[in-house]
This record gives sequence, C-alpha cells and structure tokens, in this order.
Amino acid sequence: MIWKQTAGAASAFAVLTCAMLVGVATASAASPIRFGVQAPITGPYADEGQGIEKAVRLLAEQQNAKGGLLGRQIEVTVCDDEGKPSQAAICARQLVNAKVVAVIGSYTSGAALAAEPIYAAADVLQTSDGTSNKLSEQGFKTWFGNAAPNSAEAEFTANYLVNVRAFKRIAVLTDHSSFATGLADEVIKNIAAVHGNVVEKAFVNADSQNFTPVLTKLKSLNPDVLYYSGYFSDGGLIRAQMQQLGMDAAFVGGDANQNVSFAKIAGAAAGGSVIVNVPAPQDLPYPAAKQFVADYKAKYGALPPSVFTLTNADGMRAILEAIEATKGTEPAALENHLHHLVDFQGLTGTFAWNERGERTGSPFVAFEVQADGAYKILYPEPAK
Amino acid sequence: MPGISPSRSAPKSPARASRALWPLLWVAGLTVPAVLDSSWVSIAAMFAIYAVSALSEDVILGRGGMFDMGHAVYFGVGAYATAILNTSFGWPILATLPAAVLLAAAAGALLAGPLTRLRGDYLLVATIGFNSIFVLTMQNDPGGVTGGSDGITGIGVPSLFGFPLASQSAMFWLDWVVLGIVLLLMRNLDRSEFGRAQRYLKQDELAAGTLGVDARKVKTQAFALGAGLAGLAGTLFAVQLSTVSPASFVFTESVTLFAVVIVGGPGSVPGVLLGTALMFVVPQIFRDFAQYRYFVFGIAMIAVMVLRPQGLWPQRRRRA
Amino acid sequence: MGTFIQQVFNGLTVGGIYALIALGYTMVYGVMRLINFAHGDLCILGAFVGLTLLTGAAGSGHSGAVLLLAAFVLAVVVIAAAGVVLELVAYRPLRKADRLSAVVSALGASLLIENSIMLIWGPDVHVFPGDLLPATTWTVAGASITFVQVMIILASVLLMAALYLFIHHTRFGTAIRATAIDQDTARLMGIKVNRVILTVFVIGPALGAIGGLFVGIYYREAYFTMGWTYGLYAFIAAILGGIGNIPGAMLGGVLLGLFNAFAAGYISSSWQDAITFALLIAILLVRPTGLLGEPDAGKV
Repeated sequence: MIWKQTAGAASAFAVLTCAMLVGVATASAASPIRFGVQAPITGPYADEGQGIEKAVRLLAEQQNAKGGLLGRQIEVTVCDDEGKPSQAAICARQLVNAKVVAVIGSYTSGAALAAEPIYAAADVLQTSDGTSNKLSEQGFKTWFGNAAPNSAEAEFTANYLVNVRAFKRIAVLTDHSSFATGLADEVIKNIAAVHGNVVEKAFVNADSQNFTPVLTKLKSLNPDVLYYSGYFSDGGLIRAQMQQLGMDAAFVGGDANQNVSFAKIAGAAAGGSVIVNVPAPQDLPYPAAKQFVADYKAKYGALPPSVFTLTNADGMRAILEAIEATKGTEPAALENHLHHLVDFQGLTGTFAWNERGERTGSPFVAFEVQADGAYKILYPEPAK
Repeated sequence: MPGISPSRSAPKSPARASRALWPLLWVAGLTVPAVLDSSWVSIAAMFAIYAVSALSEDVILGRGGMFDMGHAVYFGVGAYATAILNTSFGWPILATLPAAVLLAAAAGALLAGPLTRLRGDYLLVATIGFNSIFVLTMQNDPGGVTGGSDGITGIGVPSLFGFPLASQSAMFWLDWVVLGIVLLLMRNLDRSEFGRAQRYLKQDELAAGTLGVDARKVKTQAFALGAGLAGLAGTLFAVQLSTVSPASFVFTESVTLFAVVIVGGPGSVPGVLLGTALMFVVPQIFRDFAQYRYFVFGIAMIAVMVLRPQGLWPQRRRRA
Repeated sequence: MGTFIQQVFNGLTVGGIYALIALGYTMVYGVMRLINFAHGDLCILGAFVGLTLLTGAAGSGHSGAVLLLAAFVLAVVVIAAAGVVLELVAYRPLRKADRLSAVVSALGASLLIENSIMLIWGPDVHVFPGDLLPATTWTVAGASITFVQVMIILASVLLMAALYLFIHHTRFGTAIRATAIDQDTARLMGIKVNRVILTVFVIGPALGAIGGLFVGIYYREAYFTMGWTYGLYAFIAAILGGIGNIPGAMLGGVLLGLFNAFAAGYISSSWQDAITFALLIAILLVRPTGLLGEPDAGKV
C-alpha cells in the first residue's frame, strides 16, 4: 500500500518535471523582437492589468502591420503577476528567460518594485506606471517610469489647493496602498512647504465600502476641502457618502480617481468634484492619442480602463522609437538613448526621462467632473 | 507504558524502499539548476520556501489540530526581522536567521496564550484577527522601521565563509538545504515525546489529560515551533525577493497555507510537499490559461477534495 | 451629540448588511458545521444577477419599485439554485469526511465563483442605477439617515425574525434543528436529512442574495473580488454572536458595524480594523463560544 502511494507520488513528480521541461522548450526559436508584459491579469487589479496587455498587443499589431521593426516582427509575451510581489519576481525571471528586450508593466508599484532588481541584473528595460519613490531611488538604469512621479503631482496639488483655491482647512484621506499613502504624504509635505493647513490625515480601508465613520469624524473638524489620494472606486463612494452625510467640503481627488466609473458611482454627488491628473484618455487633446483611443475601442469594444493604459503604451512607444533610432536592441545603447530623450511626443503629452528614469514634463491639470460625467479643465485655464 | 511504543517492528521491504526514495528525490532536486532554466530555478526555490512554511503550518494545524488561519504572521515576522536587522542595523543575512526564528517563535508562544483558550472555529477567527492586526501594524510603520506600505527594499545577499550566495542557483541550494534540514526535523518530531503528546491531544484531549499530558503546554510548544519554522521560511523569502512588503503576508496567504496542508494530507510530510506543489507550482503551469487560470484552479481544488477527502497523501494510520 | 448619533446610524447600517449576510452563513453552519467560504461570493453573484436585470430592463417603463422587486426575486432564485448545485457537487460528497476538507472545497468554490463573475461580467467596477429608491434623507438630532439605510436595517430585523420563527415554530424548522444536533439520530427519527440540508442550501444563499443586492443598491457599485471581504466579515459577525445562533448573527453583525464606526470615529482611522479585531479577540476570551453561543462541552 505504501509502495503504491510512493509510486503515485513519483509519477506525479515525473509529470511535474515534464511540465517544467515543456515550459523550457517553448522558450527557444529566433529573430523576432520580443516584448514582455508583466501585469495583473487576475486578482483585484485585473481590469488595469488586462488594459495594459491589450494596449501592448495593439501597438505590436500596428507595428507588425507596417512591416515590423528593423524588418523584424514584434512578439509579445505576457506574465500574470496578480499584483503580488512574490509572483512578480517569478514573472521577471520568466520574461528574462523569454529573451525580451523590454517589459511593460506592472500596474502596481509593489509588483514593479519586486521585479526591478531582476530586470536590472539581466539588462532588460522596464517601463511601468508605478509611481512609488522607491522605484527610482534605487538607481537602476533599466527603470523608466511612464507616469509622472508622486512628487510632481503632489507639488501641483499643493499649489492648487493652497494658492489657487485658497483652502484654509485641508483634510487628507488615503487608503493603505503603497501608491496612495506615498502620494498623500508627498501632498502633505508640499502643503506645508507652501504654508497650507492640514487639519487631519485619515485612512479608509480599501476593501470596505463603508466610509461614513471616518467621514463623520472629518466632518466634525469642519474642513473646507477633502483631498483623497486613493482609487476611483472608493473615491466615487466617498463623494457620495459626503453628500449623504450633509458634508459640504469640496472634494479634490488624486490621479487614480480618474476613471469613467467615478462619476457613475458618485451619482448625483459627482458634479463639482475636482480630480488632478493628466487628462482622461478620451479627453487627451493630441491627435495621436485620439487615434490610439479610437483604435483601441475598435479592436476591443471598450475604452481603455484609465490613463495608465496610455502611459504604459507611451513607455512602449518610446522604446520602439529608441530601437529604431539606435538600429538595434543593445540595452546600453537603448538606455542611453532613452535617458537623453528630448520632447518625446507621447499619447499623454510631451515628456522626457531624467537620469533616474523619472518621467519629466507631465502636464497636470485640475479638472472638474460635470453633472453628466464629462470633464472640464479648471486649472491651468485652457488657452482660448 | 502499554500501547505507546510506536509500531516500528520489522518494516516490510516496500516501506524500506520508500524510506530510501525520499533522500534520493531530495538529492535529485539539487540538480535542478543544472537541468532547468532560471525561471524554474526560482520557482523551485519558492517551492522550497513555501514547503518549509507549509510544514510549519502543519505542526499547528495538521499535527496540533488547531485551526490556524493566520500563519502568514509568523512568516512575516521572520521576513521583517531579517529585512530590518540587515538594512537598518547592518547584520549579515545569516546572522539574522537565528534572530528571525527566535522572534517568530516568541510571537507564536505569545499569541498562543490567548489562542489556546479558544477552540475550533473561534480559534480560527482569532488567528484571522491577529493576521489583520499584523498587516495593519506593518502598514502603519510604528517607529519608522517597517517602511509602511512600500515595505523594505535592498535586502542583501547571504554569504558563507566570505563567498556571497548571489546567484539564483546558490540561493536555490540554500533554500533546498534548509528544506532538507526541516524534513529531518519533521521526521524526528514524529518519533519524539512532543510528537506523541500532540497525537494523543488531537485524538482525545480529555483522555490525554488523564495520561498526564499538559494540553496548554503542548499547544503552546506547537505554536512556538510552528512559528519558529515559519520565521525561518520568512528569512529565506526576504532574501529570495530582496524586498518585503505587507502585501506578501495578508490573510489570503494564510488561507493558501491552510489549504496546502488540508489538500496534501494533515500530519503527512509527503502530503504537505505534494500540497505545496499543487498550490504553488501548478498555478505557474496554468499561466497559459491567462484570465481563466483561477477559474480552472478553483475547479481543481474542489475536485481534489471530493476525490481525495483525506488529502492527496494521507497520514499513515498510527497507533497512538 | 450629532456626531455620536451619526456614528450610531453609520454602524447600524453596515451592521445590518453584515447581519443580512451572516444570517445565511450561520444557518448553513448550524446544520452542516461548514465554514462556507463561498457564501460572500454567492452574495455578490446575487448583486450581479440583480444588476443585469436592472440595467437590462432600464427604460422598459416599469417603476423603480417593480424593477427592484423583480431583481430581488431573480437574484434569490438564481443564487438559491447555485447554492443547491454547490451542495450537491462540492459539499455532499464530503459530508462524512473531515470537516476541513469541505472548508477547502468551499475555498475552491469561492475562487470559482469569483472568477466566473470576472469572466462573465468583466473585471471592471459595475455601477447600479441611482434612481431606484427615493433619495429621501431624514435629519435626526443633527444626524442624517437615508431611505435606503432605514430599509436595510428594517430588512435585516424582519428577515431575522422570520427565520427565527421558521426555525423555532414550524415542523420543518424542528426537522432542521434536529438535523443540526445529530444527523444520524434525525435520520432514525424519520427525518429526510438530505432534503433538510438541501433546504438549508436554498434558504442560506437566498438570504445571501438579498444581502448582496442590498450592498449593491446602497453603495451602488459591485466588482468581482468584493464578495471575499463581505463573506469574511459576515463569518466574523456570526462567530462573535455565537455561530449557528440566529439572533447571535444579528447581534454580531450590528456590534461589528458599531465597533468599526467607533474605532474610526473616536480612536484612529488608520488602526480601524486592528481595533475591531482586538475587541473581537477580547470578547472571545471572555465568552469563548461567542456572545449567545452555547457553552462548549469539551468536544471540538
């Protein structure tokens, strides 16, 4: 009996080993230029992760239709990191082994952070919308953040709250995510730098929908504005629950509140909310962006989930351009080219990268959500 | 004492063959870096790390019969101990290892105080509570040592006699050797007085009491031992990823460890190893299913339990 | 004072939601001793089923109340059917096995349902129409309470009372209680145990569907991973009240909601969950089988 069980286990082990070998065998063949996608395809961030995959596949398809790049076809390999650091590390090794030139993603800072040293060691370019300061602080030359760092957004936000709108009592609300707490702390620091007054920093639990307790607490402190640094699904609810509680403070949200669902969730309370970000995908004024959004919609039947789909597309577009310009896929040449990029015409505006791989030159705007869910740019005032 | 001596008389030859098979399989595992590419080496390394933490969960859940659904706490204490001592205090990685084990064991013994007063599902909910408190504490960064939600990055590589174990293969061997040591420990545990006391307790707590088994003491020891081993796995985890963050120790990770033990076979070392393979290695193979991955995996979990209710490789019947 | 009363309303509303979901949880547990980790996902599946009807029938000319009623009926029917399938496929084969095997089977079912929602409805956040119920808000002593909040509190009290009466004052309820105490003895006394358990798997998930749909209507959003958190909180509420005990689930849910509100409102929002869990553990140490649970005789 015991023997039978042992034999069973041995054969299970053999099956496992075979599966491993199959995994190895598929990673050979030659000639195409390979791009990797490391993104959360399942789990709570699946919406954004699948958006990144779709954008990369769309760009690859368009490039291949034009005859490829340097006469070579582009191939895309996707790895699902579920938004988890431990899976991200495994993904990074898989993509390195798949001989990719560059990796697009991941969506969350935490997953990008865990993969970063592995790409750096293998000299594989990494472009992600992760905005945690730690991503650029480590000084890896393969890192290219495609969304503006928290510090740039925080500076804009503090100026807008304190100088432009002249709010006197600012309440800052965040969730516990790496991204949102980082942004909230930067905003508080920048508000202090321009002599603004933060009355309270408070937290919501992003897994919950019930924010009335903390909002009731904040209401009792009489803030004239509530700034929320977390994600749209909670931001829209916070806006709705503020109205439900009769709280008349203004609402200003960080970039992750920008999503078509924000206005729908906030419902009647949506009108008048202000969000700080680069404009929404469908509101980007650039012709290339309009074309990309139209192509995306034609292929997939829906709008991109958020502007981060487009910033990741921008990261890939810049790398495609670099391969074209350097006439090859030599990592050092590509890194050098990208670090000295001047005025790259992105879908999300003109940008460049500094020596730490931080995106510079992002045109932040503060826009107001209208009663019908449309966005109207408030600051800086659009040129007539 | 009659009836207490374990039945070790005249093992039949198949049993002896099976005993020889395991060391052979372990030695065969050492060659993984030579025959597989580096992504599979890192999967194999993660397998070893999760196998150690699953075996440590088994000490409490499988052998102790206590429904611990917050085991990621001890795993996290070990990982954070290594990360903090290495990055803030400059300790070499291998020097942090005993500290991580002891701190995790202390956490286990401390929490066992209230936990062992609860039973069954009430104990289970209390462990979920401790898991949630732990994660929130790491996120709130008391004293500025845990790095908040970002966690801690830049954890160094271990070095042995001056040689840095930086390569993926070297780290794999480190993990694999630790797994081997833990496997030996589990084998000795089966034969120890503590192991016997655990078996009596699990079968009948009242009867065990009349035999002079101190239930509180044995349960507390189980928590301390299980937590210490999880802390050991935590050190390896921190080194493997070179970063720790609260997201790696959330409640769903505890649920996975819990499921590994039940799927594999509570109290059975080969069962827990098979369970680890099923729960950690199979999802890696399932990647081609893309967004269907966990849909298929959910079906697989139900199917395994329905077809093998005692686990993939149940514990051998023992006379206690 | 207004702030305090507002926090009580806040706690009661979310507590009512936890209680609604916990009722189904505790009912299944009471009879099967099964921690049904798929319960929260069934609830949110109910919200999605109801939402599909609401958005599909939008503009059909029926009034909000009619549509809502239809959505509740459809969600209850579909989720009850899903509950029965779950029992037959994932739990019944494990009835004689160690009970943790069924718990792991439930975890698998949770993954399966959660990912089915993602595959059918997509991974994005779905939004409920906002004009189904009157947006009336009352102000009581400086605190405001809305029509939907009152409905949730009323519904949880009414459903709890109905369930309690059904279990304790009908013949079928007696059969359920007998099955809960000892399945074998119940069978010897002529009770059709399989039928009783199937009924439990109709009532429990049906109650869950009502709770899930209320979550959607009150917060106006639903997404595929949401069920896990609600299931977990409902389980904790049921444990707090004494699992298997119907008034206990209600009490546990309301207390959990109030703990949450007071922790965030008066102590620290950054430690909200830690404070809630610390209170829970403290209560369990004083009452090791929950507030209304029967004392444990020594057998696990």
